[in-house]
Amino acid sequence: MMTFVLALLGVCLLQAIIAPRLAIGGIQPDLFLILLFGLSVSVGPELAAAAGFLIGLYQDSLSGAPLGLNAFTLSLIGFLVSGLSEQVKTTQPAWRFALLCMAGLLSGLITLLLLRFFHGSRPLVSAFLWTALPGAVYTAILGTGLLGMLKPKTSVGGLV
Amino acid sequence: MTRLLLRYRRTLVLSTALLLAFVLMTLQARGDSSLVLLTKRILLTSISPFLQIVTKSFDITATVWNEYIDLRRVRRDNLLLREEVRQLQAEAGELRETALEHARLSHLLQLDKRVGTEIVVARVIGKDTTNWFRSILIDMGANRGIRRHMAVVTSEGLVGRVVDVTALSSRVQLITDPESAVGVLIQRSRAIGVAAGSQVGAIQIKYLPLMADVAIGDRIITSGMGGIFSKGIPVAHVVRSSRPTNGTLFQLIEAQPHADFSRLEEVMVLKRSPTTGLSWAGEESPP
Repeated sequence: MMTFVLALLGVCLLQAIIAPRLAIGGIQPDLFLILLFGLSVSVGPELAAAAGFLIGLYQDSLSGAPLGLNAFTLSLIGFLVSGLSEQVKTTQPAWRFALLCMAGLLSGLITLLLLRFFHGSRPLVSAFLWTALPGAVYTAILGTGLLGMLKPKTSVGGLV
Repeated sequence: MTRLLLRYRRTLVLSTALLLAFVLMTLQARGDSSLVLLTKRILLTSISPFLQIVTKSFDITATVWNEYIDLRRVRRDNLLLREEVRQLQAEAGELRETALEHARLSHLLQLDKRVGTEIVVARVIGKDTTNWFRSILIDMGANRGIRRHMAVVTSEGLVGRVVDVTALSSRVQLITDPESAVGVLIQRSRAIGVAAGSQVGAIQIKYLPLMADVAIGDRIITSGMGGIFSKGIPVAHVVRSSRPTNGTLFQLIEAQPHADFSRLEEVMVLKRSPTTGLSWAGEESPP
C-alpha cells in the first residue's frame, strides 16, 4: 500500500511538473494512466478499479476537470486492463504498447462522452483525432518504455 | 450474503467506483458542489505541500543549472575577451614600438640633413658577448658601402667607429671600449686630449695638461685629429676632474658619454668626413 501511495504521489508530482515540459504539440503523456496500467497488470480487477478511482480523483483534483471524470474513466480502464491482462502477455512490449494505446483511446473516448453528457456539445471527432489519439500514442510509447525498465511481474506494494 | 458479496466483488467494486464518480460529476453539474469542493480540497491539501517542495526544488535546480550554463558562457566569453585584449595589447605594443622607432628615425634623419654628409642608418642587432670589450653589431655592411674606421653616431653624439665589416653587417667599437681612443677637445677651453674607454664603461680624457682649463660639466667634442672622426661631434661631458700631486703631468678627467650605449637601437654611419663642420642639435659650432 505504501508503495502505491508513494507511486501515486510521485506520479502526481511528475504529471504536474515534468509532464508539461514533455508536451509535444501541446500533447502531454498521461502518467496517471501509465501508473494505473502498471498496477492493473499486477493486481486483480477489483483492486485495479479501486486504484483507478483513487488515481482518477487525484488527477481530477490536479486538473480543471470535474471531480469524478477521470475517477470514472480510470476505474473502468483499470478494471478492463486487469481483466485483459489475464488473457494476454502484457510482459511483451508489443502487447503492452497495444493495450496502453487502447487504454488511452478508451480513456479519451469515455472522457469525451462524459464531457459531452455533463458539459454540453463538444466536437467529438476532431477532439478524439487531435487530442485523444496523439495522447494515447504518446502515453503508450512512454509507458511501454517506462514499464519495460521495471522488472516484469512486479507486484505493486501491498495491494496484492 | 458474504458469499454473494465475494462472488460479485469485482462487479460491486467497479459499480461502486463508477457510481461514486458519476454522483460526483452529477453534483457538480447541478451546482451542488460543497461535497465536491470538500473532496477536492482534501485531495489537493494532501498533495500540494509535496508539489510546493518539488516545484521549489525543481526551480532551484533549474536556476542552478541555468546559472551554471551562464557561468560557462561567461567563462567562454571571458576567455574570448582575454584573448582579444591580449591581441589588442600586442597590437598596441607594436604600434607604440613603431611610433618610437619612427621618432628615433626622424631624429636621425634630421641629423642627416645637418651633418651634410652621406649617412647610412643601421639597426643595432647585437652587443658584445663578453665583459672585456664594448662593441655593437649593426645590420649594415659592405653591401651598403660601409668601410672600416667610419664614424658611427647617434643624434646625441659619437658612438664609435666601424672596426669589422662583413657583407651584411659591421662591428662598431664603442668609445667606451678599453681599446678605443678618440682625439677630443674641451669645447669651452679648446684644450686637447684623448678620450679613452675603460673597463668600467666610462671615458677617461687623457693627456690634458695640468694647467688646462677644465670644469665639471664641460662638453667634450671630437677634435678631428687622427682623420677618423670629423671635428665637432659631441662625445661626452666632464663629470670628474682632478689634478694629481704625485708629479704626474696630466689631469685625471672622467667623462660621461652623451649617447646612452645601453639603449642603442639605431645608429648612423657617416660614410665620409663632412666637408664642413658638424652642427649637432644644441651644439654651437667650434670656432
